[in-house]
Amino acid sequence: MQNKLSLYITSGILLLVTLAVVSLYMGVYAFEKHSVAELFSGILSGDSSISQSDRFVLLNLRLPRITMAVLIGSALAVSGTCLQGMFKNPLATPDLIGITSGASLFAALTIVLGSSFKQYIPEVFHFSLLSIMAFIGALLTMILVYRISTSNGKTNVVVMLLCGVAFTALGFAITGFLIYISKEEQLRDLTFWNLGSLAGATWTKNLILAVIVLVSYVFLINKGKALNAMMLGERDAQHLGIPVEKIKKQIVLLTALMVGTSVAFAGTIGFVGLIVPYILRLLFKSNYNVILPLSAVMGGILLLTADTISRTIAQPSEVPIGILTAFMGAPIFIVILIRNRKSM
Amino acid sequence: MLEAYKISYSHKKHAILHNIDISVNYGELLVIVGPNGAGKSTLLSLLANETGKNGEPIFFKKRTFEEWEQMELAHNKAKFSQNNSHDIPLACKDVVMMGRYPYFNANPNQKDHEAAIKAMEETDVAHLESRDYNSLSGGEKQRVHLARVLTQLDNEVLNKLVFLDEPLNNLDVLHQHRILHTIKNFTKKGNTAVMVLHDLNLAAQFADRIMLLKKGQVVAHNTPEKVFTPEIISKVYNFPCTVCPNPVNNNPLIIFGT
Repeated sequence: MQNKLSLYITSGILLLVTLAVVSLYMGVYAFEKHSVAELFSGILSGDSSISQSDRFVLLNLRLPRITMAVLIGSALAVSGTCLQGMFKNPLATPDLIGITSGASLFAALTIVLGSSFKQYIPEVFHFSLLSIMAFIGALLTMILVYRISTSNGKTNVVVMLLCGVAFTALGFAITGFLIYISKEEQLRDLTFWNLGSLAGATWTKNLILAVIVLVSYVFLINKGKALNAMMLGERDAQHLGIPVEKIKKQIVLLTALMVGTSVAFAGTIGFVGLIVPYILRLLFKSNYNVILPLSAVMGGILLLTADTISRTIAQPSEVPIGILTAFMGAPIFIVILIRNRKSM
Repeated sequence: MLEAYKISYSHKKHAILHNIDISVNYGELLVIVGPNGAGKSTLLSLLANETGKNGEPIFFKKRTFEEWEQMELAHNKAKFSQNNSHDIPLACKDVVMMGRYPYFNANPNQKDHEAAIKAMEETDVAHLESRDYNSLSGGEKQRVHLARVLTQLDNEVLNKLVFLDEPLNNLDVLHQHRILHTIKNFTKKGNTAVMVLHDLNLAAQFADRIMLLKKGQVVAHNTPEKVFTPEIISKVYNFPCTVCPNPVNNNPLIIFGT
């Protein structure tokens, strides 16, 4: 199995790289040179063979956007898989249980009220304030949802999903109020959170994202065995020497961090954490040993594809990416509901 | 090997266990019996350290559970629980392989595979190896989990301890006896088993000692011959019974009804 797993991961990464190259060439602006090698060697050597506009579009628009799509897609998919393992249910994803709403609510609060309390916060935090607030929002909602829906290690799925509905409604109400009181330029930012877009990608954001994703993966990606064992029930997992409480805390903290940062930088992009594990489960059953590392690759592939489509399908304008992921995700949501209707 | 004194436990002001002393020796098979609501499962759960810190300490090999390192503990003791999950979307062997999780990091090695297969043969589920766990019958699922518990303790450690909470539920006669023989052989090697059973005659046949509980208190704790007397049993179960020697193996044979 393990040899196969590394084979799957390698071919997944190859596919991702190919897609990235294809995506580089997609868009309204067409590069003058046509081969990737020429383009990059021209840029690296710094000579004048590459025009200023080519250089700008490549380095400042497409490449950061592609990188961000891969990072956020991967982060959201891994968060979804980990949460599903922790809640022991394929419907536990950051957006369905309200964590994304919590994060974007705090982000919206920061945008609108930020200007008034910015002066009390140390200078160094200014830039990452939005992601820190989104993280806090995600963490608070996750802890609340878990406390409300889970007792004695057993999650009541209906309660969990209704928690999501409640928190989303609350987030919606408060965001609506904020829109009502906000100034013009804040309004534009707020609309962006609700639809989700990767258009704001920059290298600085990517750097923050990359660090967070890497740190989270160091702790999470090898938790496949633990998540498998937790399917037995938490007590039985403990008998197998799995430190259940510790792992749950890690999952809560790190997925909140990943979801929070993703929301802060790209707004609400729904359903990635639902679609990716669902497809992988169809192929590999629920073996988290396999689907956890693979969801990191698949998430990147999915969001990169969705983003490339979103910015090319209606050129020169863009379709919000959340629409595309919802188109894929909502039917899958319904399928999972039908399959699980007896056990809910 | 396992000692605890004055164990009490209550849930929402409702006392479930009251002042129970227990001490189990190396190589002993202790069976806990009693009518519904006697607190058998709760006692087993407490002894197996499932509820965390809870009043009086429990000593396993002269150390409290807090003093054990978690992985080392997983090599020394295992528990078979009564309410196993019915929804584990994995192949049978993957579920059994979970019993080897304390032994490997990323991938099971040859030894783990052999141990898993051996345990599956022991509980007669080897032929179901690649079947979906969710497609099995109740009894088959039960045997898969028994194999998982057995393979968890397949190691070089001396004097291991296994807890089993009604391991025979849903099993047919053949498999009931097979499992009990397997557990008996396990204890003959110096290991210890603490088991909750409902079938008094099977308990009489296999147990070294019996602990009879009623309403959270110990009524009798002794060899099967001393515990299974018509007076004690009919009083505890509130139902008339006769006890005679089993014609096959001379153990007490309990016949209920008059």
